[in-house]
Amino acid sequence: MIRVEHLTKSFNGQVVLDDIDFEVQEGEILVILGGSGTGKSVLLKSMIGLVKPDSGKIWIDGDEITQLAEKELLKIRKEIGYLFQEGALYDFMNVFENIAFPLAEHTDLDKQAIESKVKNILEVVDLEGVERKYPSELSGGMKKRVGLARSIILGSKILFCDEPTSGLDPIRSRDISDLIKNISKKLRCTTVITSHDIRNALRVADRAALIRGGKIVAMGTQAQMEASSDTFVRAFIQ
Amino acid sequence: MALIRLIAYSIAELGNALCFLGDIVRNVLRGRIRKGEVLRQMYEQGVQSVTIIVLTSFATGAVLAIQGAVTLTRFGAKEYIAQLVAWSLVREMSPVFTAIIFSAKAGARITAELGTMNVNDQMLATRSLGVDPIEYLIVPRMIACFLVLPILTVISEVVGIAGGYLVGVFEAHIPSAFYINQTLRAIRYVDFFSGFSKVFFFAVLISWICCYQGFVTRGGSLGVGKFTTKAVAYSIIIVILSNTILTKIIITFWG
Ligand SMILES: Nc1ncnc2c1ncn2[C@@H]1O[C@H](COP(=O)(O)OP(=O)(O)O)[C@@H](O)[C@H]1O
Ligand SMILES: [Mg+2]
Repeated sequence: MIRVEHLTKSFNGQVVLDDIDFEVQEGEILVILGGSGTGKSVLLKSMIGLVKPDSGKIWIDGDEITQLAEKELLKIRKEIGYLFQEGALYDFMNVFENIAFPLAEHTDLDKQAIESKVKNILEVVDLEGVERKYPSELSGGMKKRVGLARSIILGSKILFCDEPTSGLDPIRSRDISDLIKNISKKLRCTTVITSHDIRNALRVADRAALIRGGKIVAMGTQAQMEASSDTFVRAFIQ
Repeated sequence: MALIRLIAYSIAELGNALCFLGDIVRNVLRGRIRKGEVLRQMYEQGVQSVTIIVLTSFATGAVLAIQGAVTLTRFGAKEYIAQLVAWSLVREMSPVFTAIIFSAKAGARITAELGTMNVNDQMLATRSLGVDPIEYLIVPRMIACFLVLPILTVISEVVGIAGGYLVGVFEAHIPSAFYINQTLRAIRYVDFFSGFSKVFFFAVLISWICCYQGFVTRGGSLGVGKFTTKAVAYSIIIVILSNTILTKIIITFWG
């Protein structure tokens, strides 16, 4: 379970996150919605300790991570899959090496075991026969899939995805959203996705939160969001 | 006012850079050194710089001999060309030139590579995968530099002396055996090491500057360009300035 309490963050006097409070239940998919520049990435990065908040607490399965040193954070992050907006693949490694990297770093698996794991995960993300390709040879959607594969290969129980549909056409956006939902449900991951793409967000989310002006202005299930009387929520949904 | 701000900024930057170096040293002292990565980086840095170092060193050795032939002949001391070339190369020219060329080639590459990784979130991704980027990306580059620059310097010295030899023997008509003999007698232990020991300082300074600038690169592809040129400029300036100080210190205590 994840709990964020009174999280505040500003950059050079500009308040980006202002007293954010929410919880994500075990196995739940929460989508954080908001326009661009509203602090979604900053929020998600804070949740794995890549950004230090000014104040507030973040609980990840019983650890309060805002107080931890980088060394302890590195350990906790092994349990968390994080998909960056553009995939953030190592461009000096091919697809196979990228996905195998966490296994080589953190497990004692031999070469064959690693190969079969990578092969399996590539099937899961619907990409086969690209092992020897380099990231520069992949499309945006493929990079995200490889990034997703790399982020879940250690079998994480928590999955964070930063704008998985940004930059993709409507069909690929829908496909990757469904893929994340399937993976999340199959692995029983507690999942947080940020998005400005309301349609796909509501397809996959158990609950959604809408962020604006550094605050969460609405939060609830699809039905609750659609029934909201808040004018901004209505405007965003339509 | 602007000056005060610049000084404050520089002090803060230096503090950050020192913390960065501290992190690196801590990793090295704990033995967190990835040998495979070090070898890969040594290969890349070495291969990238060796051709241009061979070319420039050869030309430098040759030009020293050409000038030596002209000036020394005036004193009737033509037979000292070999000494002039060897001393100049080994004590000053090879260590400094190699360090400058290395900054422009391998140093620029280090900053551009790390900077690109930064702006594409690969640095953050490393941390998100539970791996320390200092240990994985920085330490191997620093150590490779520390090992490669001395090797390149020795290559530069040998090639430079060869360039001087060709001019000395075929232009100034000094007998080959005599030239070789003079060269070998000229380079004493102190001559070699008074130049060579500086290279290790240069290696640390260049790799520290270039890794640090890459590590703090921000601002997309524009930022990569900006931080890379900054890293190369700083490296070259620091090599030249520190060389003066190091030379003075070494000569005072050693000769
Ligand atoms: N490292 C940083 N330094 C300064 N400002 C930042 C930094 N990271 C984010 N910001 C600012 O915070 C705001 C929110 O950014 P971000 O979380 O990336 O938005 P988005 O919702 O599009 O993901 C933006 O105005 C951005 O300029
Ligand atoms: Mg973002």
